Amino acid sequence: MSYSTFNKNQINPLQEPMFFGNSVNVARYDQQKHSVFEKLIEKQISFFWRPEEVDVSRDRVDFQGLTDSEKHIFISNLKYQTLLDSVQGRSPNIALLPIVSIPELETWIETWSFFETIHSRSYTHILRNLFTDPSQVFEDIVINEEIQKRANDISKYYDDLIFYTQLWQTHGEGEVEVNGEVHNVTMRELKKKLFLCINSVNALEAIRFYVSFACTFAFAERDLMEGNSKIIRLIARDENLHLVSTQNILNLWQYGKDDPEMKEIAEELREEALAIFMKAVEQEKEWAHYLFRHGSMIGLNEDILCQYVEYIANMRMEAIGFDAPFKQRSNPLPWMNKYLVSDNVQVAPQEAEITSYLVGQIDSSVSASDLGDFEL
Amino acid sequence: MSKTFKVRVNGQHELTVDPSAGSLLEAMEAAGIETRFHCRDGFCGACRTKVNSGDIEYINEPLAIVRPGDCLACCCIPASDLDIDH
Repeated sequence: MSYSTFNKNQINPLQEPMFFGNSVNVARYDQQKHSVFEKLIEKQISFFWRPEEVDVSRDRVDFQGLTDSEKHIFISNLKYQTLLDSVQGRSPNIALLPIVSIPELETWIETWSFFETIHSRSYTHILRNLFTDPSQVFEDIVINEEIQKRANDISKYYDDLIFYTQLWQTHGEGEVEVNGEVHNVTMRELKKKLFLCINSVNALEAIRFYVSFACTFAFAERDLMEGNSKIIRLIARDENLHLVSTQNILNLWQYGKDDPEMKEIAEELREEALAIFMKAVEQEKEWAHYLFRHGSMIGLNEDILCQYVEYIANMRMEAIGFDAPFKQRSNPLPWMNKYLVSDNVQVAPQEAEITSYLVGQIDSSVSASDLGDFEL
Repeated sequence: MSKTFKVRVNGQHELTVDPSAGSLLEAMEAAGIETRFHCRDGFCGACRTKVNSGDIEYINEPLAIVRPGDCLACCCIPASDLDIDH
């Protein structure tokens, strides 16, 4: 079934599933099947920011004063984050746009990916400030073995879905031979690949970013690399929204509020989805080991970081219907929260560096309780 | 003073909460209970709390997924006596 950029059939988007229905024709948002995606778009757009607005010039001086082991931690994290956002800046578009069937989700995917490209641009902004020529750092991302291990698990579910979607679009359902290998393309198989892909992306947004965030904020706790920390704060706020979208998709499927076949698949592949998450947890712990192999930094070491991964994994897994698998129920890094709070109170819009600067956030609704103390 | 509700947290803390004084999360913090949160704005879902009995009311509509039987403590207030696990 080939993709059309403007489906000429008359379709009712309110009756379409999120994916693998009729392709979207009119981009209309006056009615929504799943209004959460429209709300996510509005929220995300209100978070718009530019890396260049954040002054990172002091970071260069701070960086020179770091120990070698701290430099290793800082740069390795930036490399890993660059990889994650390189993947996320394109993959939702390439993998999900050809199969999405409702306009609000289509636009959410584009908005989501666009913000990941802002993140990628901010890593260049940070690195260009630290090094006269940041090429070596960028070039190492594709050859560094520790990063490679993760890159494979991050991209393979996307790649698999993209490949099968391409086969389906050109040949339709049935057996297709490509380079001597026979692929059985069925709608059920495509939906299974989609389910695993969304689970993998959910794990990425849920925990993979947080090991790096913890290191960044640990530097900021010592008043070091504060420009970088301001940028990562903005990134963390965006990633929270992205995570909400994948959690929503998974829950809509699980509760049978979308495609009934996806509900069956969610039950059938429950163990595989769990395995994807647990593997991401293990890989992040290995990454913590790699980061601290030359020594710890003040306020953070491998053990505490692994405990934090478990703490956050418990929360994330409960959100998609799994039991919390780890004992770690209290937050080993309580100071993390102050960097993850979204300041929703507009104070001084001219201060571009503060996260409370939101675009289009004037709220004109007044409830009766607002006037509770009012007396004539 | 507005009406207050009894809120039992994790089967061990008994709080008296004034819904007009702030969110359920703030009430737990004021009582010295260790809380989980990130955004405090209803979109990250970190403050997800299990409601064993009673009703809550949202002061801001949450964006994060709220599974049946759960609530987001950062953006809700009690609407009756509550028994919750946080």
